[in-house]
Amino acid sequence: MNKKPEDIKVIIATDCGSTTTKAILIQYDEEKGEYRQTHRGEAPTTVEAPFEDVTKGVLNSVQELAELSGRELLDEDNRIIKERTENRGADIYISTSSAGGGLQMMVAGVVRSMTAESAERAALGAGAIVMDVIASNDHRLPHEQIERIRQLRPDMILLSGGIDGGTLSHVVELAELISAADPKPRLGIGYKLPIIYAGNKDARENVSGTLEEKVDLVIVDNLRPVLERENLGPARDKIHDMFMEHVMQQAPGYKTLMSWTDAPIMPTPGAVGAIIERVAKLNDIEVVGVDIGGATTDVFSVFKDPEDEKPVFNRTVSANLGMSYSISNVLAEASLPNISRWIPFPIDERKLRNQIKNKMIRPTTIPQTLESLVIEQAIAREALRLAFIQHKAFATTLKGVQKQRTIADAFDQSGTEGTIVNMMNLNLLVGSGGVLSHAPRRNQSAMMMMDAFRPEGITRLAVDSIFMMPHLGVLSEVHSQAATEVFLKDCLIFLGTCVAPVGQIKQGKDVMKYSINFPTGTEEGMLKQGEMKLFKLGVGEEAEAVFEPQGKADLGEGKGSKVETIVHGGVVGIILDGRGRPLMTVPDDKDARIEQMLGWLENLGVYNMEELRALGKA
Amino acid sequence: MCKTIRLLLGLVAGVVLCSLSAVCAMEPAVISMDYSVTPRILKSKPVAKVDDVSSDGIIAVKITWDPLDAEILPYIENILIYRSAISDDDFKLIGTLKAESTEYIDASDTEARIDPAAGPVRSNWVYYYKIGVLTREGFIFLFSAEDYIIPQPVWFDIEKIAPFIATLIFFILVIGFIQVARRRGADLYVRPIAGMNEIDNAIGRATEMGRPILYVLGLGSPEDIATIASYTILARVAKKTAEFRTDLIVPCNEPIVMTIAQETVRNAYLEAGHPDAYSDDMVFFVTSMQFAYVAAVNGLMLRERTATNCYFGKFYAESLLLSETGNIAGSIQVAGTDEVAQLPFFVTTCDYTLIGEELYAASAYLGRDPLLLGALKAQDYAKAITMVLIYLATIALSVNIAGITIFVKGLIDYL
Repeated sequence: MNKKPEDIKVIIATDCGSTTTKAILIQYDEEKGEYRQTHRGEAPTTVEAPFEDVTKGVLNSVQELAELSGRELLDEDNRIIKERTENRGADIYISTSSAGGGLQMMVAGVVRSMTAESAERAALGAGAIVMDVIASNDHRLPHEQIERIRQLRPDMILLSGGIDGGTLSHVVELAELISAADPKPRLGIGYKLPIIYAGNKDARENVSGTLEEKVDLVIVDNLRPVLERENLGPARDKIHDMFMEHVMQQAPGYKTLMSWTDAPIMPTPGAVGAIIERVAKLNDIEVVGVDIGGATTDVFSVFKDPEDEKPVFNRTVSANLGMSYSISNVLAEASLPNISRWIPFPIDERKLRNQIKNKMIRPTTIPQTLESLVIEQAIAREALRLAFIQHKAFATTLKGVQKQRTIADAFDQSGTEGTIVNMMNLNLLVGSGGVLSHAPRRNQSAMMMMDAFRPEGITRLAVDSIFMMPHLGVLSEVHSQAATEVFLKDCLIFLGTCVAPVGQIKQGKDVMKYSINFPTGTEEGMLKQGEMKLFKLGVGEEAEAVFEPQGKADLGEGKGSKVETIVHGGVVGIILDGRGRPLMTVPDDKDARIEQMLGWLENLGVYNMEELRALGKA
Repeated sequence: MCKTIRLLLGLVAGVVLCSLSAVCAMEPAVISMDYSVTPRILKSKPVAKVDDVSSDGIIAVKITWDPLDAEILPYIENILIYRSAISDDDFKLIGTLKAESTEYIDASDTEARIDPAAGPVRSNWVYYYKIGVLTREGFIFLFSAEDYIIPQPVWFDIEKIAPFIATLIFFILVIGFIQVARRRGADLYVRPIAGMNEIDNAIGRATEMGRPILYVLGLGSPEDIATIASYTILARVAKKTAEFRTDLIVPCNEPIVMTIAQETVRNAYLEAGHPDAYSDDMVFFVTSMQFAYVAAVNGLMLRERTATNCYFGKFYAESLLLSETGNIAGSIQVAGTDEVAQLPFFVTTCDYTLIGEELYAASAYLGRDPLLLGALKAQDYAKAITMVLIYLATIALSVNIAGITIFVKGLIDYL
């Protein structure tokens, strides 16, 4: 792409998903001096038979975009017009892809919690699905590891291990395992499987000697040159390159699509991660993003490393937590009592199980009744909660790092197992995926996110309006300003701000005194333990607020310390969550639990309460 | 006038002397009389009681009497204890006590007696006791005990009821927690010990760096508890090095320690499924001399560039010399010792330090064996109970509830 960013005024971006190709049109508003997403079109993806050409779906979606916008985007040869005039063409075209299952990788490293984990982080950060992690200490025998590599048939393997100048034998052993497995790629016949080696530089020669003849070996800088530091950039970039050069080349129609785009095609999750990472860095905030799909749930986060205050990006894919194909697994992992605790009416266990299994075998159905909706949202809460637990376990500080101690540390010797996810520092929580983005009421999305993620302190909540984060992620590589402007103005629908004091206080006792200066007047009062309150404050509106946590309650400034801040409104408003953190326990008694749930839901206007209460009576 | 007074006093003394002989059957003759103190001593006549307080293996008689009036104490030199066996009517002096004393225990294991002819108290003999009040002028007033006594051997020393209860509590705790550990398995919560958690990471670090791990068992003898605890940790470390296929170096200061360590490491490699990877050269004897040993181990650290150093066992002056060299060499170091004096050195130079009893707890923590876990939990609870008892004892002492104080002190002493 040769265009300067200031010359880019009209942008077409597509995301080729497994079932749908979504196109968006972004245009520069000369009057307001800002980029806005103006139109959206979509069409079925055509990567599989009978079409077997991804470009057809792309063109169909762009055609819809052209019809809706009234702008001519395709020429007579059915190609995207790249020369912009008044009402014709676009400056650039970019795309992401997750069609055909996305980028499926395997990673290998010497120690599971060190180089293998770094390799996994690099692959996940690049947008891949990590099918398995092979490590010297994974308690599998060599023949089992070889069998596994053969079975999985990944698109690519990332091999790491050893610091620079470190172990040779372990790395060479891993290379020999891969060589013995002689893995074949998932797509395409007659081309060699790409393998990226990002390990001990002293082992390069040995690894080349072992693998060069059997695979397409690429060597990049060590992703863990010393144990104290990760260097994921080169490996991540090379994964993108190899994705383009090898994997995409084999998928039907992608060679043509690649020739159309003005920036390399990115894997969809990688693009989502890219925009979240960029927004966090630009605004110096800590962000969690979640995309709950039918089969998997992706969690992205940017938190500052407690050691050096540098922002660290992490992505996890919970492969078995989703709302349709994986819904039964959510039930298995979360257990029935954990799901039913979120349902505010008595429900027969058999009925609940049937609904879950029906959703699994009919994955494209959506709830038609309030009862189904409530059940689906209860399952979503648990899927999100479990995915976030997995994310927290993965997003940790580096292990095996030397510590410097003083005598003051005698009774406070923390290990290196700690997660860097500190919910009290979280500024923005973004939800995406059908169940969150398309909930009938935005209040439902807010409630689901609060129940699942349990934000602490003061946190803004938002949902992705039409799942355009992938488009903006790839756009951020080309035009950062346009990407962030559209992200904040069109992509995100701000729900409001959640104010949740931390601490466990007796039910009914004072938790927090509040005073909020709304444009309509000041609201003052006392939040009690177990209480939830909602105040309306519109999108783009702000209010000065003073919160005084009582007793042991903490809002981020220490127990009982006052917090003066500005809270941001949204389509839901300002939510005061007095349920405590960790979240207060739900009563064992069914009637008491239902009564408590109904109280919360009513205060927050989550459902139509008359209908909901009628369900209980029925 | 003076003559009259003397006559009257002599008369009173004569009457007192006669009545005293009749009532108290005072045996040794009174050497001389102090007319001013005598009536008051007689008035506060201490009534002596004898009790059999024999316990397992020890025959003992406890003689108690009422305290003398405070106002006559300044005139009293000592309290004397006399004993007579039925077969021997001759009372022999067996103890001399302060005037304020109110009890004396005549036990078979008491070695020194004033009159050597008295001999130790025996079971099933009939004994009579007398207490004598010796005035500063040298007069002795003798008072017989109320009754004779035949001490009998018993199975239980009632005075040790507090340790008995403490033992019972501890026993119940141990059995109870072992049962809980068996039921709940590895889920039984034990406070995480950062140093133990980090051992795997430290071994992982050595593996990634391609360098060996050094394990030092300290200078303790094989029977030291710290050395025994160290074997358990060595077994764990060796198992992990076998799994990671990382080199292990164990230099020893004691030939017997070396032999046990060799066996421990061999078993660990066998358990990990890599007996072929074990070599006797991993565990070797260096020297029994403290500083020669330090010089040798420091040399090893610098030559082999060990990535991880573990110090578990008994350490003395060499602790800082070893760990500081390791720190300078850039190794991750994990230490644990029950030598309190060495702990500050380890804390400042090592990445992780197991403090005191954490070293013993480590074996239970690592092994997750229900027996060890149960015992560990029981010990923790016993400590918690001791802490509560210390508070109770403090309160009892403050408000002077003697009975509670003695009982609680007994429990604490035992626990």
